[in-house]
Amino acid sequence: MQQQEIHDFLIKYFQSNNCEIVENNSGYFVVQLTIEMDKELMNRPFYWHYLEKTGGEPNPMRVTMITDQMKTPEDLKGENIHFGSPRLHQIFESTKRLASFIRLFENIKPFSGGQYPLFPWLCQNVKVSYKCDRKKDVFISVGLNLITGEILENFHNRILNLHVTPKIPDFSYTLSPLIMPSSGLNRLDTYIRRTFEGDDHSWAEEAVKRWDNDLQLLEHFYEEMEEKNETYFTEKEALRSQYEPKINISVVNGGLFYLTEKAI
Amino acid sequence: MKINITSDTAWGDEFLERINEDGPWANWELFKMAVQIEEHLAIPEFEGLQAPKHLPQLKPLPHQLEAAKQVVENMNGKAILADEVGLGKTIEAGLILKEYMIRGLVKKVLILVPASLVTQWAFEMNTKFHIPAVVQHKSYVWDSCDVIVSSIDTAKREPHRTIVFNQEYDMIIIDEAHKLKNNKTKNYAFAQSLKKKFCLLLTATPIQNKIEEIFHLVSLLKPGHLGNASLFSEKYKGRGTAINEDHHLKELVNTVMIRNRRADTGIEWTKRIVETVIVEFTPSEQALYDAISEFRPDNAVGIGSTFSALTLQREACSSREAVFYTLRNMEKKNENPSQEFLDKLDNLYAKVNEVEQNSKAEKAVELIKKINDKVIIFTEYRATQLYLQWYLKQHGITSVPFRGGFKRGKKDWMKDLFQKHAQVLIATEAGGEGINLQFCHHLINFDLPWNPMRLEQRIGRVHRLGQEEDVRIYNFATQNTVEEHILKLLYEKINLFEKVIGELDDILTKLDISNIEEYLIDVVGDSRSEGEMKIKMDNLSSMIQFAQEMKEGKKHAATGNP
Repeated sequence: MQQQEIHDFLIKYFQSNNCEIVENNSGYFVVQLTIEMDKELMNRPFYWHYLEKTGGEPNPMRVTMITDQMKTPEDLKGENIHFGSPRLHQIFESTKRLASFIRLFENIKPFSGGQYPLFPWLCQNVKVSYKCDRKKDVFISVGLNLITGEILENFHNRILNLHVTPKIPDFSYTLSPLIMPSSGLNRLDTYIRRTFEGDDHSWAEEAVKRWDNDLQLLEHFYEEMEEKNETYFTEKEALRSQYEPKINISVVNGGLFYLTEKAI
Repeated sequence: MKINITSDTAWGDEFLERINEDGPWANWELFKMAVQIEEHLAIPEFEGLQAPKHLPQLKPLPHQLEAAKQVVENMNGKAILADEVGLGKTIEAGLILKEYMIRGLVKKVLILVPASLVTQWAFEMNTKFHIPAVVQHKSYVWDSCDVIVSSIDTAKREPHRTIVFNQEYDMIIIDEAHKLKNNKTKNYAFAQSLKKKFCLLLTATPIQNKIEEIFHLVSLLKPGHLGNASLFSEKYKGRGTAINEDHHLKELVNTVMIRNRRADTGIEWTKRIVETVIVEFTPSEQALYDAISEFRPDNAVGIGSTFSALTLQREACSSREAVFYTLRNMEKKNENPSQEFLDKLDNLYAKVNEVEQNSKAEKAVELIKKINDKVIIFTEYRATQLYLQWYLKQHGITSVPFRGGFKRGKKDWMKDLFQKHAQVLIATEAGGEGINLQFCHHLINFDLPWNPMRLEQRIGRVHRLGQEEDVRIYNFATQNTVEEHILKLLYEKINLFEKVIGELDDILTKLDISNIEEYLIDVVGDSRSEGEMKIKMDNLSSMIQFAQEMKEGKKHAATGNP
């Protein structure tokens, strides 16, 4: 992530969370936190607890964030934010937590005055991690049509350009899903598993080879010990946790999208 | 092949709940941002390093990046980082740790370092790598924090021990790992019984004396890599280290060890400027030294008596206080002293009393005043250290003491005092390791250790990455004493001080001198005449030089024949 991207990202984050941007320059900005955002980010539970007990005037913080030191006046006090800085990662985590579940409706202008139906789609953005002593992630986005059972990949990118709204538009109505959301979740899980089971897993085979190799060395090392001691079993277990190949599927976010028939 | 696939169901459960409750639903902008973040944070490849782009303000050197890459890609996260002193092993360890943390392979980490380095490690991990490392100071810390820095001595003691064994650590980092070269020690047993999924052992001197040391170190990391104990000793013990076997062993070791040498890093190092300062005894000092040289505690002969006689001589070169302290100890230890023994001691005490000045200390004060900048003085003896502290104070020079035995907090405090308020730091040998003092570039060896590796460690405290000035080393030696012999006949001959001696340990190993200190005591103590001693020393120094030339020759051959 470039510094400019980070800057834009932060501005969007605070705006989306109803914080006022007091000052916005190319190298830094000043934001007035809301009470909610102060609690979310500033990590001062005692202050808020105290305030609630005493009924004092809440005074959420005003924060200066510097995204480009070079473009910032030297005497400006603020927090340096860069990729990898704890603050940015805190905000990343916060974003993900605040944006786990969504429900949106496509909004189009009715062309003939009549009402139009919206089809329910169940969407999941998923991170699939390959893990052994190494690691790799694959990001995929899948959508399931809860009427037809059709599954589409790259779903997130497909809806990016649609005009969507959190409230159901005046001239539309939603179709009731034929597939219940809970079984929809199962279908997507099965779909993702199948996709990844069939993938190239030479990485896992290699890991098992490394594992076997180290196991053999271990056996050799303890060969002369007739009754194996605890250390032997600890080492053996350590090798398992180091090398055993695993695939882990975790949901980043997702939700329900009600879309017109021709939307995607 | 069949791979275990797990998926989390928590998201699904909460999602269904939100449907029932009709919300709350996220904001579309935030939702898109969350996806964007995840795409950024996803790790695209098994290979390569992610850590550098998370650490834009860290400017790792090429050899450090390469080391980190090697460990992650080719060593499966288990390695001995054995760069020469001052090349930034901590940076390498930090990079590797960060890499695994970013990849989500490591969460719980135990960093075991000498007590004097605990705070510094925690500080560096936090500031340079944004790794929230916490200093272990109360027992609850073990459970409540993910990344812990502790000394091995603390960790191995109850109640900590039990708690530590109950944690599931993903990575163990051990600094100054050469202290674990002996597999009979409790510390070794402790390190061995820790579960090591990923593990980094840091040491500047993977082999100090014996080839077995590397076996124990590697076996800690990867048991069986060098075979088992009986096989290894059968192959290498007593047979010296024949080149072929040595070559094979080296190759094997190199698959788990990274050793960068200063010369290979291409970094411009500041120079070492060495000056030998020969000090002349006053008559009373000379009288004490002569009396000590004559002195035999009892009439027994053998290593023990040679050793204590030599110790006393070396002490007489340092300070009368050091001599006195040792004599008193001898007296206390001897439960049934003969009258003869007591008379001898009384005679020596009288000589100690007659010494009215310390010529080396005078020289030191003169030098320190001239330098007019921060200076570190190393001495082997506590008594000398105390004396110097007092003596410098008499001359209006501010100093702080430093010893290995200091508690962690005190060490940090002393270092801080030295950096901010005092001109001189007086350190004993044990305090030499584990403090970084690159803000200082004058070093006085008030007396000399009889082990070249220990000397290198002393110098390494100041001549390391971050040192911007040329380092000036002043070696004090008293004329016509054992000290001068060692300095002139050995250390200067092999250019110990000027040269960057990272390879010296290899050389000593090749020579199969199991313990250089004992060997020197033999040479100096048991030679019947000065002539004999000179010859023996000459032999040793030419052996070392020869081994060195062989090594250099090989290197040239290797570079000339790609």
